[in-house]
Amino acid sequence: MDSHDQLLAAFLAGDLDPADAQRWDEHLLQCERCWRAVREDRAGRQAAQVLRQPAPPGLADRVAFAVEMAAGVPAAAQRQARPPARARGRGRRGRRLRWRLAGAGAVAAGLVATLLVALLPGGRQAGRVPAAVAAVARYAQAIPPPSGEQRPQHAAPVQVGRPVTVMAGGQRIVLRTWRLGGTEAVVAVSGHPFPMPARARGVSGPGMAWSARLGRLSLYCLNGRPSELVAAPVPAAELAALAARLPLA
Amino acid sequence: MGADHRVFLDATIPHLDVVWQVARQAAGEGQDPEDLVQETYLRAYAAFGSCRGENTRAWLAAICLNAARSQARRRRRRPWEVPGPALLDAPPRSRGDGREGAADVADVVIAGLDAETVSRCLGLLPEPQRVCIVLVDVAGYTAREAAEALGCPRGTVLARVHRGRRKLAQLLAEAGVSHG
Repeated sequence: MDSHDQLLAAFLAGDLDPADAQRWDEHLLQCERCWRAVREDRAGRQAAQVLRQPAPPGLADRVAFAVEMAAGVPAAAQRQARPPARARGRGRRGRRLRWRLAGAGAVAAGLVATLLVALLPGGRQAGRVPAAVAAVARYAQAIPPPSGEQRPQHAAPVQVGRPVTVMAGGQRIVLRTWRLGGTEAVVAVSGHPFPMPARARGVSGPGMAWSARLGRLSLYCLNGRPSELVAAPVPAAELAALAARLPLA
Repeated sequence: MGADHRVFLDATIPHLDVVWQVARQAAGEGQDPEDLVQETYLRAYAAFGSCRGENTRAWLAAICLNAARSQARRRRRRPWEVPGPALLDAPPRSRGDGREGAADVADVVIAGLDAETVSRCLGLLPEPQRVCIVLVDVAGYTAREAAEALGCPRGTVLARVHRGRRKLAQLLAEAGVSHG
């Protein structure tokens, strides 16, 4: 870029003082080369701006969830109290308040989770949960206990909130929450198999399907293409019947 | 690690949209821009304690670009270096001797904008120009913020943006002619 072009770039950026800018205005009326450069610059800028696209609606929640996991806080438990990302952006003060509430709840949930792991048969042994499974369980801790409402035999499951995508244990996992009557469950889908945690029970094949109990959660996994892991706060014996009514692949 | 994640999220989530703009353009083939945004935030969180005094937007952009490069290295691909036609080696060309001829490039570009073509042509620019255009024109960074993110003088950013815009306009005009 020669000095002429550098001056032109400075002119286009509004860097020149008023006197120099005036000289450039006059120069442009006479210099075909510079006039063409100005028009191409404006056209290029306008073209590049076509590429602007708003962030996907669930991205803020996904990022926040990932950071909370990295922080070691099971704040995913607060996801249902958290408004959608777009709504959060509307009020900084309101968002802060919600984050404070989320933080307080997260601490409580963390204590509960710690106690659960400690009280599980096997103690620390039970805490050795593969990262992908731990991420699903951490997310599912937010599920409220079943309300006691009967599950109508033919009622369709209703999706709660938006899907959340996380990366854990090198796996990309899409998490969806479903409500069926008074019971909620998380369905996690991944292109890679979910590893069996210690103390899990193989249902078929070497890790193709397994079930496990983690705290108050029952987990049922069917590895394949894709692999699916269902987690719900119900007795293990009820999970299979619940999973059968969820929209699995 | 160990920084208060709520403080971190309060400081960085407002910039999610601009990071997303950068990630969409920086992600190489086979890279998911959403994964890149998440990786950016995780890296930023890990380094948050030592970077609070900087311009947060510029800091996030620098992390995003580095994350894209390291992911690309892992995939043995280089997202910012796409072989371009010989046109890129040539200086900006004249398209006529008079003002009508000069208007051709700009008019063709403005008349026929579509995101897919723009994205393809942007991918043909040399990396330094492409990065500057993405930061300034797509994501909306100021030249000073872009310079901070890239670690170069502001004047360099302005020059790269100017040259990149002109080449982009010419490539789009070419695309308009060849497809029209």
